[in-house]
Amino acid sequence: MNLKIIGTSPDRLDAAAKTTGEALYTADMKFPNMLHMKVLRSPHAHARILGMDVTRAQKAPGVVRVVTGRDVPGPFGEAVRDQYPIARDKVRYAGEPVAVAVAADENTAAAALDLIRVDYEPLPFVLDPWEALNQTSPVIHEGLMEYKTAPFVMREGHNTYQHMKVRKGDAQTALAAADLVVEGEFRWPPNAHTQMETLCAVACYQRDKSLTIYATTQAPFIVQSTIAELLEIPPGRVRVVSPILGGGFGGKSDVTIEALVACVARFVPGRHACLTLTREEMFNGATHGRSAACRYQIGFRKDGRLTAIVGESVMASGGNADYAVNIITGMALAGAGPYRVDNVRLDVYGVYTNAPPIGAFRGYGHPEVHLALESLMDTAAEKLGIAPYTIRDYNLLRAGDANAIGQVMSPHSGNVAECAKLLSEKLSGQQLPQAVPHCRVGRGMAAYMKMPCMPSNAQSGAFIKLNPDGGVTISTGAVDMGQGLHTTLGQIVAERLGLPFSKISFNATVDTLISPYDWQTVASRSTWGAGNAMLLAADDLLRKLREQGAAYFGVSPDDVETAGGEIRAGERSLPWGKFAAGLRGPDGAALTRPVTGEGYFVPQGVVNPDPETGQGNAAPDWTMGCAGAEVSVDMRTGEITVLRLINVIDAGTIINPKNAAEQVSGAMLMSLGAALSETVIFDKKTGCVRNNSLVDYKIPGIEDVPGQVDVYFVETPEESGPYGAKGLGEHGIVGTAPAILNAIYNATGIRFHSLPVSADRLIAGNPAIKGGE
Amino acid sequence: MKEVCIDINGLTVAAAVDDSTTLLRFIRGAAGLTGTKAGCENGECGACTVIMDGKAVRSCLILAAEAHGASVTTVEGLANKEELHPLQQAFVDHGAVQCGFCVPGMLMASKALLDANPTAGPEEIRAALGGHLCRCGGYKAMADAVRDVASRKPQQ
Repeated sequence: MNLKIIGTSPDRLDAAAKTTGEALYTADMKFPNMLHMKVLRSPHAHARILGMDVTRAQKAPGVVRVVTGRDVPGPFGEAVRDQYPIARDKVRYAGEPVAVAVAADENTAAAALDLIRVDYEPLPFVLDPWEALNQTSPVIHEGLMEYKTAPFVMREGHNTYQHMKVRKGDAQTALAAADLVVEGEFRWPPNAHTQMETLCAVACYQRDKSLTIYATTQAPFIVQSTIAELLEIPPGRVRVVSPILGGGFGGKSDVTIEALVACVARFVPGRHACLTLTREEMFNGATHGRSAACRYQIGFRKDGRLTAIVGESVMASGGNADYAVNIITGMALAGAGPYRVDNVRLDVYGVYTNAPPIGAFRGYGHPEVHLALESLMDTAAEKLGIAPYTIRDYNLLRAGDANAIGQVMSPHSGNVAECAKLLSEKLSGQQLPQAVPHCRVGRGMAAYMKMPCMPSNAQSGAFIKLNPDGGVTISTGAVDMGQGLHTTLGQIVAERLGLPFSKISFNATVDTLISPYDWQTVASRSTWGAGNAMLLAADDLLRKLREQGAAYFGVSPDDVETAGGEIRAGERSLPWGKFAAGLRGPDGAALTRPVTGEGYFVPQGVVNPDPETGQGNAAPDWTMGCAGAEVSVDMRTGEITVLRLINVIDAGTIINPKNAAEQVSGAMLMSLGAALSETVIFDKKTGCVRNNSLVDYKIPGIEDVPGQVDVYFVETPEESGPYGAKGLGEHGIVGTAPAILNAIYNATGIRFHSLPVSADRLIAGNPAIKGGE
Repeated sequence: MKEVCIDINGLTVAAAVDDSTTLLRFIRGAAGLTGTKAGCENGECGACTVIMDGKAVRSCLILAAEAHGASVTTVEGLANKEELHPLQQAFVDHGAVQCGFCVPGMLMASKALLDANPTAGPEEIRAALGGHLCRCGGYKAMADAVRDVASRKPQQ
């Protein structure tokens, strides 16, 4: 195929507007007579609400309304109906909303919160995942077994809202027969998404029983259906608008503050009411990610062949579960990594804890299990006297091999072995830098694979509207949160329609009453799903252009050609643009109609995994790759410097290499943050988040960027993807942290089992280095 | 309430504000210029950076009253009518823009740097962008974009 636009890197369609301040984000929206909300949050991690007195707050000058949990409906939730927009009767984490004040300005609303009296009866709380799993821990949702749930929820009661299993072969017997068994528990603590844009929503409820909400959301259609059900209004009267989004990373998926904002807006009909979370609230009142512990035992033959994986993992999910159910699925189905292994037994539990809820976070369960797997692969390699690359190469999935859930890899599934080979060559291709005095240098690698965790029929939609200049405007229900989706989709459309890229314009916002349906923008699925929908829409547009051309020229559609932006029938032709608004004949009679292409894509043949064994065609595709790191560790101070990060990824055909490399390297940097500095810290006595600022929760800054960050692509075309493309937005995060830990071990001989690895821990972890070299 | 006058991008904006109103809120509210972003309102992220009397400042840490009589440039004041400022164009060219929320602050910090030091080198650029957070991870492309502008020969 002779491709002109796929594989090139035109400037992003949204770049200029984002450099001038013209790009409008949710918090930039202003409406006449707009009201502001402030949220009173629980100071207790777990408590019964015995009573509440809001009379003084309600009477304070300028306060329009105070709303409590008793005033609003609930519970709601897509997977487990277990959350209230505002807590009622009980709070389950410090930071949970207990009341909302609405006033003309934020200061007045904030002052009103001080006048609300809440009587709490504090209860014992639990934060640790294993402790929450234990039957003796405090019960967080007494009603768990009665909650309405989606059919794939397999709750066990107490605090366990989900237990997902993978069973293949006879893992216990194979483990007993193994020549070598390596084992360990690995923990990835809660991480904060830390999008630079905090959560914001502006809602207006009208007396005709309709609601409009502008929100920082990756999931406008999920928000629409949830609000419609909560407020008992038809979905067609719930207009959710997702303007330009200032970063998502999963933290703006599913439903966040929108349910609360919509419910409160109903009390001030006819007026727009806005809630913008402060940065502090992003740490105690918004979802976090990760928060998992994985205990793995892996069996090997003497020659390095992987024979069995037995894993027990638990995710501490915070005060409500809802969509976290699907992260448990991700941890289970990807729990054996990119390896061929005949005997697998994995049990993954999702448990409630008294922390802010855990939701989707870039990687969706995959980084957590890869931390265990890829650390233990290195341990096994060392014990068997095999090189880290060699032991991986021996076991990596190849075409014809079945993965842990029984899917047989085809030649188009991705070439992880080639990724590992290239990674190994690149990593060792440069000489290890000379260690400066007191420092030790080392290298590590980690292979990975990730699937999109989504409903088996996750929908994507696309509209392509023809304009009078002969160009087209693309619209999708998927959200561009910074990943460059519109540019990628524009390239796919320009390629298919045979138009120059300059002829593509885009609709920057998603509006649930106008935009085509799209499940939500998560799971690295939009280049693949929305890209496929765009191809279908482009073909629909071309078909309609032929029809309209036939009507105008009085020929059969089969005799009309559309190449080069011209509608041609034999010798006669007109530019596409002439057909945009429709054409008339010499007598004025209409001959053609305006033209819009539409396309909808759903994955084919994807089914739910078997509830007892996890087996089945549960993933439409896997993106595989290999990460590498080179570190220098100062043995006196414990300071760790990442010198190089490398990622080799097989994401099929790369539509836009520049954007793709930025996505992968951005995810790698996020993983570096998780490896070395990021963790949400809870006060052991109160259960409150202690590090609720950007100073105390340290994400990587420019000073932390390694001197060398390289991304390489292996491009095995994915047969189900547009022009052979598939997702890559999350994958840089999966292998990077384990590769850094393996590099630290390689440099120092110290094996860390949890993140982040701070200088303090490095020194404390090894008395031998306290005295320096 | 206090009457405050601030020159923003060459126009005088006057408004009555209370004592706690920050320059950031004045710019986004009274002046209606929403290009300047609120990322933390605590001086920790740099998204709200503007140039005040020639210096890059975090507008969330300055009270509007303190800025009375000052001359402020925001991201909206960078471009020249239809043409992007060279820094803006370089950000576009280098693919330094992802979600875009940190970009106005990054641009204003870069502008202040190049105004003071038109040929700034990589180390100076890293120092100027230090403390400006970008969660999308676009630091390298941004630094390259600034370096690109700094390394050009001055126009006649």
